[in-house]
Amino acid sequence: MGGLTQVRPGSVPHGPAQAPAGSVRRREILVAYALLTPAVLLVLGVLAYPVAWEVWISLTSFASRAESRSFVGVANYRTMLADAFFWRALATTVVYFVVTTLAKLAVGVALALLLARPCRGRALVFLAVFLPWAYPGGVTVVAWYWMLNPPLITSYSVAVGHWKHAVDGVAGAGAYTFASVALFNIWRGASFTAVFLLAGLNAIPRELFDYARLETRSAAQRFRHVTLPLLRPFLALAVFLSFTTAFADLANVWMLTGGRVIFPVVGTYAYWLGIRSGEFAEAAAWSLSLVPLLLLALAVLFRWFDPPREAPA
Amino acid sequence: MAQVMMKDLNKKYDEVHAVKDVNLHIRDKEFIVLVGPSGCGKSTTLRMVAGLEEITAGEITIGDRVVNDLPPKDRDIAMVFQNYALYPHMTVYDNMAFGLKMRKFPKVEIQKRVQDAAEILGIQELLKRKPRQLSGGQRQRVAVGRAIVRHPQVFLFDEPLSNLDAKLRVQMRVELKRLHERLETTAIYVTHDQVEAMTLGDRVVVMKDGWIQQVGEPLELYGKPANKFVAGFIGSPAMNFVDVKVADANGALWAETQGLRVKVPPIHTSRLVPYKGQQVTLGVRPEDLQLASGSDPSEYVFDAVVDVVEPLGSEILLDLRAGNSTIVARVEPTVRLKVHEKTRLALTPDRAHFFDLKTELAI
Amino acid sequence: MLIERTWKRWVYFYIPLTVFVVGTLFPFYWMLITAIRPDAELYRSWRAATNTPFWTLQPTLEHFRDLMAKTTFPQWLWNTFFIAVASTAISLFCGLLAGYALARLRFPMAGALGTSIFVTYLVPPTLLFIPLANIIRTFQLGDTPWALILTYPTFLIPFCTWLLMGYFKTIPKELEECARIDGATRFGAMLRIIFPIAVPGILSAGIFAFTLSWNEFIYALVFLSSPEKKTVPVGVVSELIRGDIYFWGQLMAGALLGSIPVALVYSFFVEYYVTGLTGSVKG
Repeated sequence: MGGLTQVRPGSVPHGPAQAPAGSVRRREILVAYALLTPAVLLVLGVLAYPVAWEVWISLTSFASRAESRSFVGVANYRTMLADAFFWRALATTVVYFVVTTLAKLAVGVALALLLARPCRGRALVFLAVFLPWAYPGGVTVVAWYWMLNPPLITSYSVAVGHWKHAVDGVAGAGAYTFASVALFNIWRGASFTAVFLLAGLNAIPRELFDYARLETRSAAQRFRHVTLPLLRPFLALAVFLSFTTAFADLANVWMLTGGRVIFPVVGTYAYWLGIRSGEFAEAAAWSLSLVPLLLLALAVLFRWFDPPREAPA
Repeated sequence: MAQVMMKDLNKKYDEVHAVKDVNLHIRDKEFIVLVGPSGCGKSTTLRMVAGLEEITAGEITIGDRVVNDLPPKDRDIAMVFQNYALYPHMTVYDNMAFGLKMRKFPKVEIQKRVQDAAEILGIQELLKRKPRQLSGGQRQRVAVGRAIVRHPQVFLFDEPLSNLDAKLRVQMRVELKRLHERLETTAIYVTHDQVEAMTLGDRVVVMKDGWIQQVGEPLELYGKPANKFVAGFIGSPAMNFVDVKVADANGALWAETQGLRVKVPPIHTSRLVPYKGQQVTLGVRPEDLQLASGSDPSEYVFDAVVDVVEPLGSEILLDLRAGNSTIVARVEPTVRLKVHEKTRLALTPDRAHFFDLKTELAI
Repeated sequence: MLIERTWKRWVYFYIPLTVFVVGTLFPFYWMLITAIRPDAELYRSWRAATNTPFWTLQPTLEHFRDLMAKTTFPQWLWNTFFIAVASTAISLFCGLLAGYALARLRFPMAGALGTSIFVTYLVPPTLLFIPLANIIRTFQLGDTPWALILTYPTFLIPFCTWLLMGYFKTIPKELEECARIDGATRFGAMLRIIFPIAVPGILSAGIFAFTLSWNEFIYALVFLSSPEKKTVPVGVVSELIRGDIYFWGQLMAGALLGSIPVALVYSFFVEYYVTGLTGSVKG
């Protein structure tokens, strides 16, 4: 980041309409704020206000059936925390997030390394990479549902049914559905992660990899000591992005399958409470319960996220 | 310590033939410099020695091993890159220790070697810093240190100084030379800067379009360039070239063109006889021209008009016109000449060069 | 240019890549085969002698015809297109200005503002749709495209800003300084020098925004209710799944047709997209 109008100490003292150096600087600041205004207004207006509203609502008894809303303090939270269902939902959310994120990173890194090498048919590969991500998620999820959990009467449901029983038998009830939702998320997110990491790989000077080839004894060593650390900032960013999509996809699955997926997660339950049942206050509390988690993750990642501010030496 | 041999070395990319039939014998402990304009194949040659590029045809031997099929790590070489290639996530110490750690050296040994190298390069206080906290010169030193600790058979340098500013470059050049004298390790050094090549190299290899143009000691290249390209490439300001006709008059050979006529110096006479009546290229270095005084033999003197005067302090560069030819002369700082002034130049007879017009080879 | 044996290249490169490509594209193949399979085949018994799960012998377009005739699918397409273009335009405009300011101007709090704009991208929509639903109701925007056109920029602007900021940083300052010395105003230099150079970045931000708004599901589901106002993703799943009954053939047909615009956009601009993304990350 650098200013265009450097304030030069002795700049043209006699110029006719020459503004003094201080005002040039002031104008630059003004221009900057003017340029930022539309973005900040829209983002904050449609973001900060709702969040504030949500925090306030979660402290009241607001519901579509209730006649009045009154301030009830942390009562909604207390109810929520006392609810065993909440803890189960929270645990599912966290496990889901961790599993899918790790898988996406692993597949993403591998894929990025593959894509970094030129080969014939690269266009097809890139299409395969972009399609799951570029395709409307709400729609593809139905396709997955159709593929993995076909309704009873369809032709291959018997075959899938056997499989489902086998998986559930080994890993417990709901395992198959969990796996299918996770698989969907990975399918959709891994390739985007890969493209993102590929951009990262391309941004790293080639000499760093050349040097590694001279000095390391094996590809595995090179990967562990050079590629991975160099990619770290991009990996952190990928985790960031995975974070948000994980929540969004979950809600999709829940809604699309009409509650057929039998494991609770925080976001989807909030949806049920708020939109379907009109229990706005409680729903708000549920939604907000994710905030501490989000903040914690953000804090950790920001420490980890050491953006390449300058070209690596 | 080892010699490096390249035999009929070739590199072809899909369309480009980057290195053509390179044959080179680099002696043990020699500091050899590959120099040439960008795209001449010098870096590709170096990268083939390093094992970073596959060899299309030919053979490279390091010590007494043919290394064509050896991966880079097993070639016992160390390389310094143009952009230093320091890992931003490691401290200077870790950067320098990297190659040794990867090769499972004992910790004590690593520490000793890194300390020694840091001492030689004067970077002991920087060991705990990260590369981004270092200046360009310091990064360069770390990159060199990283190569030193390996105690390799051959050092490879890929334009290591070209990212430094002019002053630092001169300083690092001297340091590299001193370092080489101390370590006595074979070194191959790639640069596009002919001054760097001349000052550093025990021998210099001039390349162009993938071909080796000439191999020789710096002064040999300067004094006896094999062809017009080498003559023009080595030396600054570059050699003057004038296309002249070889004419026979008064029992002697003369090189003449419009507005310029000088006698062919006796040492060249016999070789120029076959060119009688033909065009050749006359080459004279700016430092081999001076303002004519009465004592100069008149057959080596010609008229010229001053176009530009460039006073450099220790010397003056004159851009002159003689007939249709433009000529640069390097003269004493005491010379007082103005633009458009007429003057007379004398060339040092035994320092003139002649090149075949077609093959551009020295005659 | 690595030195390696052919079989190694197969084991470490071609085979994994092929597995990946096939695995990724298989769901799409499944969608396609479902969309052109006659109903009779869809519901045929697994054990039937004629069962061909991975291909069909009687391809049909009946599902596509039904989709056009029995639903308001063309209307959904138009809705989605309108909403996506409008919200993309708004987001690009805001993102360009903000990205330029963050990349090129020095002002107090620049770092903090940049970071906070980026962080807002990470706020999950599950956190927002409840209060937003309430706001939409208050302003009586419910069931209109404007409900979405105004909410989509909340997650589009941060990404556009971030991407464009990175891209602007890769453009040498001298280009702009030169224009200003030659007599252009700051605004003129921005419009005539910087933005044209940033076209790959702008395109990739635009593609990104367009895709996200075309595919957005939750807000569209919550804010729109009349069938003819819906967007493709919501329309397809809400109108073609009635209770427990899935119109599979039409669902898949809709899924395929509804994604053609996005697929087109990608196939045309994929090079730009990758360049833009790479450029922005380099910053």
